[in-house]
Amino acid sequence: MAEQYSSFTPGGTRWFLQRVTAAFLVVVLAFHFFLLHFVNHAYEVTFLGTQARMENVGYLLTMVLFLITATFHGVNGVYNALVNQGLEGTQKKAVLAVLVVASVGLVAQGTYVALTMSGMI
Amino acid sequence: MSQSYNRGLIEDFGRWKEFSAGMWAWIFHKFTGWMLIGYLFTHIAVLSTSVGAAGNEAAIMAESDVYTTTLQGLEGLFLIRLLEVGLLAVAVFHILNGLRLLMVDLGVGLEAQDKSFYASLVLTGAITVASVPTFLTGVSL
Amino acid sequence: MSTQQAEPESQEAPEDPEMKGAESPAAEQQKGGGMVDEQAEKEAELEGETVHIKVFRYDPEVEGKQEPRFDDFHVPFTKGMTVLDSVMYARDEYDSSLTFRHSCRQAVCGSDAFFVNGKQRLGCKTQISDLEQPVRIEPLPHQEVVKDLVVDMDHFYDQMHAVEPYFQDEDTPETDALEEQRQSPENREKIKMSSRCIWCGACMSSCNIAAGDNEYLGPAAINKAYKFAMDDREGEEIKEHRLRILEQEHGVWRCQTQFSCTEVCPKDIPLTEHIQELKREAVKKNLKFW
Repeated sequence: MAEQYSSFTPGGTRWFLQRVTAAFLVVVLAFHFFLLHFVNHAYEVTFLGTQARMENVGYLLTMVLFLITATFHGVNGVYNALVNQGLEGTQKKAVLAVLVVASVGLVAQGTYVALTMSGMI
Repeated sequence: MSQSYNRGLIEDFGRWKEFSAGMWAWIFHKFTGWMLIGYLFTHIAVLSTSVGAAGNEAAIMAESDVYTTTLQGLEGLFLIRLLEVGLLAVAVFHILNGLRLLMVDLGVGLEAQDKSFYASLVLTGAITVASVPTFLTGVSL
Repeated sequence: MSTQQAEPESQEAPEDPEMKGAESPAAEQQKGGGMVDEQAEKEAELEGETVHIKVFRYDPEVEGKQEPRFDDFHVPFTKGMTVLDSVMYARDEYDSSLTFRHSCRQAVCGSDAFFVNGKQRLGCKTQISDLEQPVRIEPLPHQEVVKDLVVDMDHFYDQMHAVEPYFQDEDTPETDALEEQRQSPENREKIKMSSRCIWCGACMSSCNIAAGDNEYLGPAAINKAYKFAMDDREGEEIKEHRLRILEQEHGVWRCQTQFSCTEVCPKDIPLTEHIQELKREAVKKNLKFW
């Protein structure tokens, strides 16, 4: 097997980023749940209320960052799970491409939605 | 080797009774992870109704815009409320076990990794049960 | 390893009533004076009894044995009997075609790792009185079975060799300047546990990721690399070279900290801990360049 390890492809950056985003997400996800289920109730959400929250630039930025980190953390997790199952070769590249496109799409759409909520668009 | 026998994935899921704490933690973490990323996509899709709602000041003030009506329509369904409780359980477990994994990554308390898994399970259960009243307010079957 | 050809009648041997009734020499044994600890109690219970073992059988060379099955053996219990003792008895007394690897019988050679009652264990280090009966003895999972309890270890050895499991020095000093390479007691302490590996393959077999991803180095090889990477006598350059092998996609990052390997290791090596430490080392090394 030694020859299989000749190509140098460090996976450390993704591993590290997965941990860094995890630490961020633990806090923000807990905050998000608390704010929208206990402080405000999900069944009372109106566009007016959402707009009021999103007009705060700090909140808006936190939510966009939340979206980006969550997307990375989640999609990277899915990719890892598939690599752990032994995904390789062309299939692996195809899956990676699909996941990257889906992530970019999600972040773009989510950011657009956030901007409409804040009244900036 | 002339011939050999591949026993395939023996030990994998048919032997779940023999799994240890660390294995269960991994299975649950992965399962909840899949749920959360799946939910994130759905979440953004539902919130996308804000694109149609934005700008129509009269409807927004009357709370009859498409965003508000969609969300409140969904929230009026008992099933959705139940799923929300499930989502909370999934998120809380993923957070607590995630903290456990961060500790493991830092090399802290590796001897207690099984206990910290049981602790995250118990805490998840407790937080979920305690949240049921809040999550089911104002909705009935 | 027994390599005898199977006798055709060996297949019905297990249920032979003669064998069940075999008088145990253990019945004669005297119980030690004040020894009434748990172990002694369990053994006392089994005294004069037979132990029921179910052994996985497969032989590609004999027709009728190519379909894997389990054979039952009732082995007379003797004090201190291990799983290895029980299969050796079954082989010597009932079916000489029963095949498994063993050598030192004292947990040093690492040849007799089996899958016993759903867990990877070393046959010679597992007391049969500690197990629930019938004791199910199978070859290590996730490796091809060659015959009965013998699995193909080639892939495991390939992974072990991939991490260059030998001491390396940057430059050999001049012949007249040769000196003993001393290790500090602290450094010795650090790599002590990792040096206990006996290459039995139990950890690799228990690893869910190694089962799915054939390229994953696996716990044993990573632990072996740890032993050398953490050894102060090897230079910085060699350590970096070692980390480069470990930090590839199918290196340390595949470990999902399920702790399966740590739990089955018959030498109690903290495998997960070592893998985690190497992950942190690799990240630290890369952060320096940012």
